[in-house]
Amino acid sequence: MSTPPRAVQSGRAAVAVALRVLGVTALVGVAATVWLGLFVTPPDEFMGNLVRLLYVHPPMAWVAFLAYGVASLASLLYLWPRTRAERFDRLAGASAEVGVVFTGLTLVSGSIWGRPTWGAWWVWDPLLTTTALLFVLYLGYLALRRVPGELHVRARRSAIAALIAFIDVPIVYLSVEWWRSLHQAPTVLNPTTQKTYVHGSMAWTLLLGFVSFTLVYIWLTAHRYRLAELQDLEDTEGLDVALAERRAEAVAG
Amino acid sequence: MLRDAVLVAGKDLRIEVRSRVGLNQIGPFAIAVLLLFGLALGPDRQVLAPASAGLFWVAVLLSTILAVQRSYAIESADAARDGLRLSGLDPAGIFLGKASAVAAQLLVLEAALTIGVALLYGARLSGALVLVGACVAGTLGLAAVGTLYGVVASGLRVRETLLPLLFLPVVAPVLLAATKAWDEALAGTPGRAGGWLDVLVVFAVLYVAIGIVAFGPLLEDG
Amino acid sequence: MNGYVEAGYVVVLGTLGTYGVTLVARERSARRRVGAGSNKARNAAGAGTSARAGTSVPQGDASAREHRAVEEEGPGSAPRAMSP
Repeated sequence: MSTPPRAVQSGRAAVAVALRVLGVTALVGVAATVWLGLFVTPPDEFMGNLVRLLYVHPPMAWVAFLAYGVASLASLLYLWPRTRAERFDRLAGASAEVGVVFTGLTLVSGSIWGRPTWGAWWVWDPLLTTTALLFVLYLGYLALRRVPGELHVRARRSAIAALIAFIDVPIVYLSVEWWRSLHQAPTVLNPTTQKTYVHGSMAWTLLLGFVSFTLVYIWLTAHRYRLAELQDLEDTEGLDVALAERRAEAVAG
Repeated sequence: MLRDAVLVAGKDLRIEVRSRVGLNQIGPFAIAVLLLFGLALGPDRQVLAPASAGLFWVAVLLSTILAVQRSYAIESADAARDGLRLSGLDPAGIFLGKASAVAAQLLVLEAALTIGVALLYGARLSGALVLVGACVAGTLGLAAVGTLYGVVASGLRVRETLLPLLFLPVVAPVLLAATKAWDEALAGTPGRAGGWLDVLVVFAVLYVAIGIVAFGPLLEDG
Repeated sequence: MNGYVEAGYVVVLGTLGTYGVTLVARERSARRRVGAGSNKARNAAGAGTSARAGTSVPQGDASAREHRAVEEEGPGSAPRAMSP
C-alpha cells in the first residue's frame, strides 16, 4: 500500500501545530485574565472584591451555551442527509463533554458568587436554573452516547435525542423567566445581568475572560474530538485484528 | 397514518383493560407518591394546600415514566422494537397510537389524583376549565416526549435508568406551566392562567410534531 | 483577598486544568493502543501469509490505513434513509 499523500501528512501536521499555538494562546489569555482579575482591577464600589468572580462566571456560562449550540448544530448536520459525516457526530459528543464541564463550573461559580452576595448558595434565577437543567440534559445525552452499539446507529440515536433535548432549552428559559418575574420584587436586581461595570480595566478584563475561555473550549473540544477519533479507530482495528487472526487460523488450520 | 394510530392505541388500551396493570400498579404508585409527599411536608394543611398543584404534577410526571415503560413492555419482551418495526405499520401512526394510549391512561389517573389532592391536601377545587385544560394539554406533551424517549430506551439494557434521566429535564417546562396554571385555578383566579396554558399547548404541539417525524428513524435503530 | 473569590478561581482553574491534563493523557494512551493494535493486525496477517505459500493477504500499511480511516468523510456504512 502506498504511503498517504504529502498533502494529507502536512495537513495533519499543520493541524497539530495550530492546536499547539491555540493551547498556548488560551493558556496565556487565561493567565492574563486571572492576573488582571485578581490583582490589577479595582474592587467594585458595591460588591467589593466579589466583582472579581464576574470575570470568570459569565464566561463559563457563555461557553456552556456555546458548547450546547455547537453540539446541537453538529447533531443537525449529522442528521441532514447531504451533510452527514462521522465527524459531526464526534464533534457533537466532544462538545457535549466539554460543555458539561463548563456547565458544572457555571453552576459552581454562580453559587460561590451568590452565597456572599445574596446569602444563599442557590437562587432560582432564570439563567442559573436553565443552566442547571442544561447540566442534566447534557448528562442524559452523554449517558445515551455511552450505550454500546454500531457507530452510525449510536450516532443517529444520539443526534435525534440531542435535538429533542436541546430544542427544549429556549422553552425552559422563557418559562423560568416568566415564572420568576411573577415573584421578583422590583428592587431586586437580576444578579447575573448586573451592570455595575465601570468602563476601563474591568470591561477589558471581562472581554479577555470571554475570549480566553472560548479558546480553552475550542482547544479542549479539539482534543476530545481527536480522542474520539482514536477510540473509533481502536474499535475498528480491534475488528481488523480479530479478522486477521481468524484468517491466520483458517490458513494454518 | 391515523388509521394505524387508532389501531395501535386500541390495542394498547385493550391490553390495559385486560391486564389492568395501570389500575393495579401505576394508580397505587401515584397515590403512594401523594401520601409520601404528605408525610414529607408535614400534616399542616397550610403548607400542603398551596403546594397541591406542584405535588400533583410531580406525581403525574413520575407516573408518566411508569406508563411509558409499561407501554413498551407490552410489546414482546426484548424484541419490542422488532415487533413494531416488522408490523408494517406507519411509524408516525405507531407513535400517535402509543402516545394517545399513554395519554388516555394518564388522564384517568389525573382524575383520581385530583380527588386525592383535594382529600389529602385540602385543596379547594375551582376553575375546573383551567384544571382540565391544563391536564389535557400537559398530558399530551408528557405522553409525546415520553413515547419518544421510550422508543430510544426500549431496546437497551439500561432503559429503566436512562428513560427517567432523559425524560424529566425535558418536561420541566410542562411541570412549571401546568403547576402555575393549576395554582391560578385553585387560587380562584383562573383568568391569569391563560399564558401558562399557551405554553402547554405550544409544548404539546411541538413535541407531537417532533414525534411524528423522529419516531420512524428512532424505531429503525438498534 | 475574599475567600470566596479565591475559592472560585481555584475551582474553575483547577477543574479545567485537571480535565485538560487527563484529556491529553487519555489521548496519548489511545494513540499508543492504536499503534499497537495495527501492529498486531499486521503480525497476525503475517503469520497467515507465512503459513500459506504463495498468495499474500492484502494487509495495508498500518499507518496508511490509519490515515485513510481518519481522513475518511462520510459514515462508516451506508447511511440509512429516513423513514417516510
